[in-house]
Amino acid sequence: MDFDFSSLFAFLLFGVTIGVVYGIVALGISLIYSGLDIVHFAHGEIYMFGAFFGLVFSHTMGFPYPVALLLAMVCAAVLGMGIERVFYRRLTKGGGGYTVAGMGMIICGFGMSIVLMNIAFLIWGAAAEPFPVDLGMPFQLGDITLPKSYALTAVVAVLLMAALHYFLKKTKLGLAVRAVAANKDIAYLMGINVPMMISLIFGLACGIAAAAGVLIGPMQSVQVEMGYLMLLKAFAAAVVGGFGSLPGAIAGGIVVGIAENLGAAYISPNHKDIYAFLLLILVLMIKPSGLFGIVARVKA
Amino acid sequence: MSIFNKNFIAAGMAGVFVAGMAASAMSADIRVGITMRMISENGQRYGQMVMDEIDMINESGGINGNMLKATLMNDECKSDKGVANAIKLINQQKVHILIGSTCSSVSLPIVDITEKAGVPQIIPHSTNDKITKKGSAWVFRVPVSGRYYAGVNAKYVGENIGKKIAYLCAADAASQNDCDAMQSQMKSQHGADPAYVAQVQEKEVDFRTHMQKIKSAGVDGIMIAALAETMARALTQSYEAGIPASVRRIGSSSASNSPVPSIAGDAAKGVFFAAAYAAADSRPIARLFNEMVKKRYGVNSPDHDFSQAYDLVRITEIALKNADLKLDDENLAADRTAIRDAIANVKDYNGLASGPISFCAAATPQCRDGNRTAVLIAYTKGGKDYKTEVLARVTMPIDFGL
Repeated sequence: MDFDFSSLFAFLLFGVTIGVVYGIVALGISLIYSGLDIVHFAHGEIYMFGAFFGLVFSHTMGFPYPVALLLAMVCAAVLGMGIERVFYRRLTKGGGGYTVAGMGMIICGFGMSIVLMNIAFLIWGAAAEPFPVDLGMPFQLGDITLPKSYALTAVVAVLLMAALHYFLKKTKLGLAVRAVAANKDIAYLMGINVPMMISLIFGLACGIAAAAGVLIGPMQSVQVEMGYLMLLKAFAAAVVGGFGSLPGAIAGGIVVGIAENLGAAYISPNHKDIYAFLLLILVLMIKPSGLFGIVARVKA
Repeated sequence: MSIFNKNFIAAGMAGVFVAGMAASAMSADIRVGITMRMISENGQRYGQMVMDEIDMINESGGINGNMLKATLMNDECKSDKGVANAIKLINQQKVHILIGSTCSSVSLPIVDITEKAGVPQIIPHSTNDKITKKGSAWVFRVPVSGRYYAGVNAKYVGENIGKKIAYLCAADAASQNDCDAMQSQMKSQHGADPAYVAQVQEKEVDFRTHMQKIKSAGVDGIMIAALAETMARALTQSYEAGIPASVRRIGSSSASNSPVPSIAGDAAKGVFFAAAYAAADSRPIARLFNEMVKKRYGVNSPDHDFSQAYDLVRITEIALKNADLKLDDENLAADRTAIRDAIANVKDYNGLASGPISFCAAATPQCRDGNRTAVLIAYTKGGKDYKTEVLARVTMPIDFGL
């Protein structure tokens, strides 16, 4: 194909719009990591549950799409807090990172991923469900057609980032969350309810993942196995952006999205997922702390 | 010893004899092993249809007085699980015949196992050419082979749509085969090279870069060869990218699966594909079958995977009735051979498939690709209550594509 700037712009746009979805999921993964020093491997399934919650609220119960989005976030947050309280609490109390409990948490996350997938299978079955949402005619930017669902995703991603930033930096509760993230023992001595803050971190992260699930529903379809590839891409985004960095998660998602689209467009169209993971390897080789430069460390 | 005790011992011996006879009768079952992809709702229904039809044979007296004992296993369309299932069914269950699998990538390695073990394998859904090209004397295919589908599609596309075709091919074995065969047929029939080719992952979510490039290439048609959900996503995104309906969308064999129109909705309208069965078929047998599937499984327009599952059981039933079976452990190998030879003797079976199905003894694709009639179908309406129309019905020459 001949090079032209219109096509380049299209590929960049596609990269950004899918990249923000990776970024939103990565945001939750980074939030949990920054708070608890653990990597949550069941996050892809929370994203999938969020998509199904959105489908149920929007199509079965007839709520408007924005309301369904909010309700799905709340339900996923409650689900995440419940999982943390019932299954993860004993491990999160033991610490994260390179501790035995931290390793246990990784394995527990894998197990939870399979459990959640099977529960979803029992509830909704294996068939992919369409999630059509009428957002009106797509935007026409010259030769490029951009459905409004993609634009909405980008807007919601920015809003979520801003809201999370405001919550963490400008509210007392956010300060408590940051204190727990920095040092649980000292936070406890200062009178902060550490277990509740850990639950809150999980709830927030799961709510954010649900938002990504509901936003991607209209672009594709909703099915039980949708979380697996998204989790891998989100991990790539989180690592590229800098694990634990919230702005880095969104930026990493966008970089991953652009890399895979440009790779497919100008290098080879085959197996475009490869480019995301090549980028991941490249970043780990050159700048292991990621683009936003969080220095890897084991917290107290 | 009192008379009472003698009678007691006699009664005991009689009991042992009866129990022995009962055990002997139980071992006279014809053991059928089934491994299929049952990770989707329709996948489960196909497996259930095979089991239900076997149950109905048993309810009507079995095969020459012998009951069929079926074991259904889920291979999840994964080669390793399919192989493990086949080994278990052959060596532990000691099945007389193996049915499976749904996916070509699973059926292909199983062919080697059934050949080595000497177990007849009858395939319900897999279309990959290589399955019968392996030259196993033990394999039989009920569905139409990919080589015939490609021939029919290429002929129709070249004569009615154009020669500038883009291809999106998923990485699974059946889609790859459909894609390669179509490109090869477009080249041999019309001298046309692909305008664009991309291989995509089975769970790919974003096709817009491909669609943008296809749009820029100004093609006459797009062939999307992928499993149902992936195909539906690609179809939807082809319209989102602004590729007009005048660029015809060509589906691979899995386009006949109901999730394609259900998920793609309006984007499925106009998509056409080659299949073995059309729900729009007006024959009485097809009408009755459609009603039965709707009643039993709640599916309005059964796709060809339903019809092929049904035809497979009927062909197996015919073969088992004609096979001289001893059904004891000593004659297991002989019984398996007898079943294989009986399937090879099935000629001109007229069931739901759009043409007759015939097998023969040679271990060649000509003998083991029993169904040569493909029907070209187009969706006239998408969504859950989708509708189809038949564009053409073609029986291909036996050597076609070899």
